[in-house]
Amino acid sequence: MTNSEQPRGPAAPSPRGRLAERLLPGGEEPDPRFTLANERTFLAWIRTSLALLAGGIAIEAFTSGLFIEPVRKGLAIILLLMGMMLSGGAAVRWLRVERSMRNKAPLPLPFFVPLLAGAGALAAAVVLVFILMR
Amino acid sequence: MASGAPRPHGDPGLQPERTALAWGRTMLALVTASAFFLRWLPTYGPAILMLPVVSGGAALAIYLTQRSRYRARSHGLAGESIEADLPAVLWTAVAGVVLGALGIAVVVAG
Repeated sequence: MTNSEQPRGPAAPSPRGRLAERLLPGGEEPDPRFTLANERTFLAWIRTSLALLAGGIAIEAFTSGLFIEPVRKGLAIILLLMGMMLSGGAAVRWLRVERSMRNKAPLPLPFFVPLLAGAGALAAAVVLVFILMR
Repeated sequence: MASGAPRPHGDPGLQPERTALAWGRTMLALVTASAFFLRWLPTYGPAILMLPVVSGGAALAIYLTQRSRYRARSHGLAGESIEADLPAVLWTAVAGVVLGALGIAVVVAG
């Protein structure tokens, strides 16, 4: 593992942990403002994920008059799965962005943006069909 | 990690403050989610209590680390060097994944 890290500022950074050396190898420390911005974006995704998780749990109780049980459970599980993927995906994206910034490479595209948009549209369509058929 | 009063970072963009507020919002979202999970206790039974334990625990962990996190960032920005907070990102993401897995288990069983 090569590590050509150089201290940037007047304050020498503390030695990095083993986990950081392993998951964020090489390159040099990016502008601290970028690191903080990346962290805030990660947290915004985590909050989106929490909204999906809370929605998944609520749908079972909220919609007993609207959906038959398999649809209700299916929707709840889809929302919970999306919330799970979003939480995990947010950490993966944070790592990829942090790696790109360390190596001064272009930032990766957020692969779960189209996924989330598609799943949201699909869920809205299912709800629409059920409301119209009621 | 620095101790004592946070060193003034002089950043006009107030990056450490904005990041601390983002963590604070996430903590509040976790508290809201915990209350939400508890709301459906009559529907799902005691099994759902696993969820607010995880989300409430994560919210408490953020609350307890806010001060030292802000201090480290404010100090770090003054010296133009901030280490990426890998452990915090990992445990927050793991909490979300665990919540989802527990939620699916509760919905399937319920």
